[in-house]
Amino acid sequence: MPSVPAQLSSLRQLLAARFPQAARPADARLLTGIPSVDEATGGLPRSALTELVSATPHAGAQLFLAQLLAVSRALPSRAALIDASDQFDPGSIPDEHLEHLLWIRCRSLQDALPAADILARDANFDLILLDLAAESRTALRRIPAHSWYRLQRAVEQTHLAFLILTPVALVPSAQLRLELVRAHDLSAQNQPRPQLAGALQVTPQRQRLAASA
Amino acid sequence: MYAVLHLADFALQAVLRTTDGANRDNLPAALLDPTQRPPVIVACTAAARQEGVACGQTSSQALARSPQLRLLVPRPDAEQEAGAALLATAFAICPAVEATAPGVCTLQIDGVSPERREPALSEALARLVVLGLHATGGAGPTPLLALYAARHTDALLILREERAFLAPLPLAAADPEPAMASLLARWGLRTLGDLTALPKAALAQRLGPPGVALWERAAGETSRPLQLVVPPPVFTAALTCEFALETLEPLLFLLRRFVDRLALELATAALAAAELQLTLALADETTLAHTLRLPEPSTDADTLFRTLHTHLESLRTASAIVGIQLSITPTRGTLRQHGLFDRALRDPHLFTETLARIAAVVGADRVGTPLRRDTHRADAFALAPPATEIPPALPPAVHPAQGLVLRRYRPPRPVQVELSAPPAARPAWVRTEGGGSVVHVAHGPWRSSGDWWQNDRLWQREEWDVELDGLYRLVRTPQGWFLEGEYD
Repeated sequence: MPSVPAQLSSLRQLLAARFPQAARPADARLLTGIPSVDEATGGLPRSALTELVSATPHAGAQLFLAQLLAVSRALPSRAALIDASDQFDPGSIPDEHLEHLLWIRCRSLQDALPAADILARDANFDLILLDLAAESRTALRRIPAHSWYRLQRAVEQTHLAFLILTPVALVPSAQLRLELVRAHDLSAQNQPRPQLAGALQVTPQRQRLAASA
Repeated sequence: MYAVLHLADFALQAVLRTTDGANRDNLPAALLDPTQRPPVIVACTAAARQEGVACGQTSSQALARSPQLRLLVPRPDAEQEAGAALLATAFAICPAVEATAPGVCTLQIDGVSPERREPALSEALARLVVLGLHATGGAGPTPLLALYAARHTDALLILREERAFLAPLPLAAADPEPAMASLLARWGLRTLGDLTALPKAALAQRLGPPGVALWERAAGETSRPLQLVVPPPVFTAALTCEFALETLEPLLFLLRRFVDRLALELATAALAAAELQLTLALADETTLAHTLRLPEPSTDADTLFRTLHTHLESLRTASAIVGIQLSITPTRGTLRQHGLFDRALRDPHLFTETLARIAAVVGADRVGTPLRRDTHRADAFALAPPATEIPPALPPAVHPAQGLVLRRYRPPRPVQVELSAPPAARPAWVRTEGGGSVVHVAHGPWRSSGDWWQNDRLWQREEWDVELDGLYRLVRTPQGWFLEGEYD
């Protein structure tokens, strides 16, 4: 007859195996402050890849990114942006939301993936953003699937939230795939940004169960 | 109580430890004495001995027995490095250390508690293996007995029964003069026990003072005070390469040897590395020097090595490397209590390494924390090294930013713009490389200028937010119209 602690331990293992999401720590997700994301998914999963597909131009992918910078700054935590097409505009972001950011200005897509691989292995970061939204779909489709699985394996060992912005559904190993569905018009330029971010319409396209803790 | 760390065939080991190769321990290698004519072998590895190589052979004789034999010559700088590694290991046990001879150091271990002596010496031998040296250790009541013990064991020997240990040792263990050795051999004396069985006074009558000294050495009765050495105040390792290095692996191999030894010296001195100065002598008689500042003082050999490795991965030299020097600037180690709400880096060394590796991929000028410059000029920012600690967040701004975020084109894309009829003169049609588009909505203009007091830096622009097939920022400058980016 196993002892009580042994029974408890085996019970915990059984629960973790059958209900892996429940077994994750309480802060296993990063709240984005965007109701359509947080209510539907509970936030961006940590130790996993999240893909944000911005198939519609001007749907707010950069706005989403700016919102994550604001949220991670408030925690505070350390963030990194791998800017594959070097299109991030610091002038559009409040100075305070840049203090915790490491910006990697890539020259090409070939720079971005190795940089992502390196960063995903650094425990100092809590949030990594890989912006591929402006890359050509042809070039993105040439990325072998094993690169994404390798990235997933690296992120699994950490506690960071890893968001990949893409123009088309691309990342096979993404635990969560979100899609921005509504384009903005020019009247958005007159609205406060927190209000715009709060009104972002994001639809979960895929939500896999987390790996067991 | 004394202990001895002994490196057999010290000169050979010193050269071999600078030899890169996975199979280094099984390498048939021999050390030639180039001062003799013809040069003869003075030491060889076990693998070479198995193939019939022996001391006293010429290189031709040895190569005839072992065609794969690697012939080496003594290298003073390698011996100096090996000696430093031996001393560093000894100082990690106790501070009373004597550099007795090349490859031999004697320690006075009275200060080490008896139960810690054997583990400490075993650890030292294991550490020497990491440093590329195979040593033996001995401990006894006198320096001489400790040396005998170290010389006549394969690992570690702590003497408890001195007479029983000494008796079967050959007479050569007591280092008799050649003439005396042959005389004693003619007398039929083969071991130290044979010699000490003779009365000391009778031996003194026949052989005089040298005979008495030999008898005392054979009996282990000789003792002496140690000539202690002081740990070096500098932390430097240097080596001239036997062959010019053209690839990274052999360079890293040697640097690992340096780092292991220097890290041990630092830890023993209760110091930590603050900076690494790496100097590479190149075959074109130039030198390349780099100073690598560590984010946090460290004595961890892996951390120091990783710092060097990351730096060297992206280094290209004009010619091969013929000499290496590594110096460490020591400092007091930092002791820090991590707080519950600490915003500092979790692993500063890893962070620095990550930055260096990313800089190697994208370029050092393209990674950092963006800082906006104090100007209204477009796209004016600088990249600063990331802060080691994130300052506390401020309360939300009373007047938050407005609108969507610009995705900026670098460089801006030139376009042709048709304006509506005056007096409105607003953008009505935009033609890009991909085709033209009607401007559905245009907000603007917002005009700005600056640096008018500097002719070469004067700028002037007129901004429009336009809705074409998407939302764009259109800019008119003295150079023409441009699409500066899109709102996303």
